[in-house]
Amino acid sequence: MEQNALPAQDERPTVAELEDRAFELRTKLLQLCGTYEGAVHIGGDLSAADIFTALFHYGLHVDPTDIRNPERDRFLLSKGHAAVCMYIAMAMRGFFSYEGIVETYGQLDSAYGMHPCKVQLPGVEASTGSLGHGLPIAVGMALSARHRGETHRVVCLLGDGETGEGSVWEAAMAANSNRLGNLVAFIDRNRQLMTSFAEERISFEPYPDKWRAFGWNVVEINGHDMGELVGAIDALPGADSDKPTVVICETVKGKGVDFMEHNLAWHAGSLSPKDLERALASLEANREKEMA
Amino acid sequence: MPVTFTFGEMLSARSVIGTTLAELGETHDNLWVLTPDIGATLVEFRDKYPDRFLDVGLAEQVCVGIAAGLAYDGNIPVVSGMLPFLSMRALEQVRTDVCYPNLPVKIIGTHGGLVGNGGSTHYAVEDLALMCALTNMTVTSIGDPLMVGEVLRQSMSMEGPIYIRLAVGKKDMVLYGEGEHDIRIGKGITARQGTDATIFTHGTVVSQALQAADELAKDGRSVRVVDMFTLKPIDADLIAQCAEETGGRFVVVEDHLAYGGLASRIADVVADRGIRLTAFRRLGIPQVYAGFGEDEQLRDKFGYGLAATIAATREVIAAKA
Repeated sequence: MEQNALPAQDERPTVAELEDRAFELRTKLLQLCGTYEGAVHIGGDLSAADIFTALFHYGLHVDPTDIRNPERDRFLLSKGHAAVCMYIAMAMRGFFSYEGIVETYGQLDSAYGMHPCKVQLPGVEASTGSLGHGLPIAVGMALSARHRGETHRVVCLLGDGETGEGSVWEAAMAANSNRLGNLVAFIDRNRQLMTSFAEERISFEPYPDKWRAFGWNVVEINGHDMGELVGAIDALPGADSDKPTVVICETVKGKGVDFMEHNLAWHAGSLSPKDLERALASLEANREKEMA
Repeated sequence: MPVTFTFGEMLSARSVIGTTLAELGETHDNLWVLTPDIGATLVEFRDKYPDRFLDVGLAEQVCVGIAAGLAYDGNIPVVSGMLPFLSMRALEQVRTDVCYPNLPVKIIGTHGGLVGNGGSTHYAVEDLALMCALTNMTVTSIGDPLMVGEVLRQSMSMEGPIYIRLAVGKKDMVLYGEGEHDIRIGKGITARQGTDATIFTHGTVVSQALQAADELAKDGRSVRVVDMFTLKPIDADLIAQCAEETGGRFVVVEDHLAYGGLASRIADVVADRGIRLTAFRRLGIPQVYAGFGEDEQLRDKFGYGLAATIAATREVIAAKA
C-alpha cells in the first residue's frame, strides 16, 4: 500500500546522524533537568531517547507545520511520564522550540508539564500519563483509520513496567481481534519499575512470548542501537497487513549516564549544577567510547 | 416514531435505543456503537453497520479507551453496557481519556439503581455522584422510554461527553405523550403542576412520584413533580422557581445514594443561591450492600418507595413556615 502523501523528510537522516541527534536529545534533556527544580523522569526518558529519536526523526510520517493533517501517523505516548523527552524530540523535529520548553516547563499555564496534555499542547495526539491508557486509545485510532481506508500508522510507545496494567492486554486482544496491522507498539523494555527491578515484582517472562500468544508480530531489538531501530522501522509490515506489530526494545534505564544506569534512585529527580556537570561528562565519555 | 404511545403503556427503553441508534447511524456516518458484551439490543445497528459496531467482549476499560481514540479522530462513539461496570471499572478511562479532553463519547447503559435483582455487584448506586464529579460530563437519568431516543438524538450535536442512565430498560412506563413537553438536555420537566410541595426525582422513580402525587391529590394536596432528568448541568432556575411556587417545600426521591445524587445537586443550588426552604427531605439508598429483592421491595426496604414518598411529602407540607 502507498504510504501517505505527507511531505517526506527531504532526506531521511542516516544512522550516524540519528545517533548525533540522540546525543543532542540526551544533552538537552539533562540541561532541562538542571534548570527545573521539580522532578523529571530522567531514567525512563534516557531509556527511551533513542526510540524517540528514531521515531520522530526517521520513522513517523508527521509534518510539524501541519499537525492536524489527517494523513499523519499518530503517535501516542502511553508511558506519559517520558513527556519531556518527547517534547524535546519533537522540538528538534520542528514542532516547537526547545527554548520554549526550557523557559516554561512545569510553570503555571505552560503547555509543557510532567505528562502530555493535548488540551494545552495540541501537537500531541492524546492526553496520557496514567499507565495503560495509550494502547486502548491507539486501537480506537487504528480502527478509525481502517474504517476510512486511511493508510497512516498508529504508533504507541509503552514502558515494560506499564504492561503490568490489565488494560494493555485488553487492548492487545482487541488489536488482534480486529486485525489492526496499522498499529505498532514500541516497548521501552528497561526492566525497571519506579521502586523495583521489574522481574522482582511481576513475572513478565517469557515476555515476547506473551505478545506472540496475543497474536502480535514480535520484533526484538536493542533499543539503544540506532541501526537496529532503523532496521525495525524499515521492516515494519505495511499498514494494510492484518497483524499488529510490537517492537520490544531492550533498553537501560538511565542510559548514557553511568551513575544513573540501572540505578533505582534515578527514576525521577532533578539535577544540581554539580550533578549536571557529572552527568554531561559521563554522557560525553560514553559517546566517545561508542565512537571509538 | 411510527407508533404513538400514551401514558401508562409499557415499552422497552432498550428497543428505543436500538431503533434510535440504527436511525442515527444512517444520518451520521461517523457514529460508532461499542459494547462490552451487552449487545443484544444493538442488533439492528450491528446488522446495518457492521463495520461501525464493535463488541470488545468483557473489557470495559479498553471499550472506553477505544471510544476515546475513535472520538479523537472525529467519530461519535456510543458506548452501551451495564452502568455498574462502565461507571466504575472504566471510571478512570471515562475521566482521563474522555472527559478531560472533552470528547463526544456517549455512555449509555442499564442497571442504574437497585434494579434487576442482580445483587450488590450489579447495581449502579454511586454512578451519578461519580459522573457528576467529572469535568465536562453531562449527566442524565431517564425514566420515560421515548425520551431516551430524544436525548440520544440531541446528544449527537454535543461537543463533549454525556452519560445516559437507565434502569433495566426492558419494561418502562411511558410518562409523556409525544410533544407534551419540550425535552431539552439541561432543563427539568415539570411532569405535574402543583403548589403545596415539589417532588424532584429522575429515572424510573418519576412514575412512582406521579403516583404519590395522585394519592395526595385525593386528600386535596397539590403536589408538583419535577423530572430532573439532567443532573448536570442542573436546572437551577427551575429549582428556584419551585421553591417560590411551592412554599419552599422540597422532597427529593431517587434510586441512587441519598447523598451524592440529585438531592445533593439540589442542596448545592439551594446553598449557593441562598434559596430559603421551609422543609427539605431526601429519600434514597443508604450506604449499604443492598442485597437481593425486587425493585419495589428494595425501595420499600430502604425507605424511598411509594409509601415513604407519600409520608415524606405530607411531612414537608405540614412543616411550619
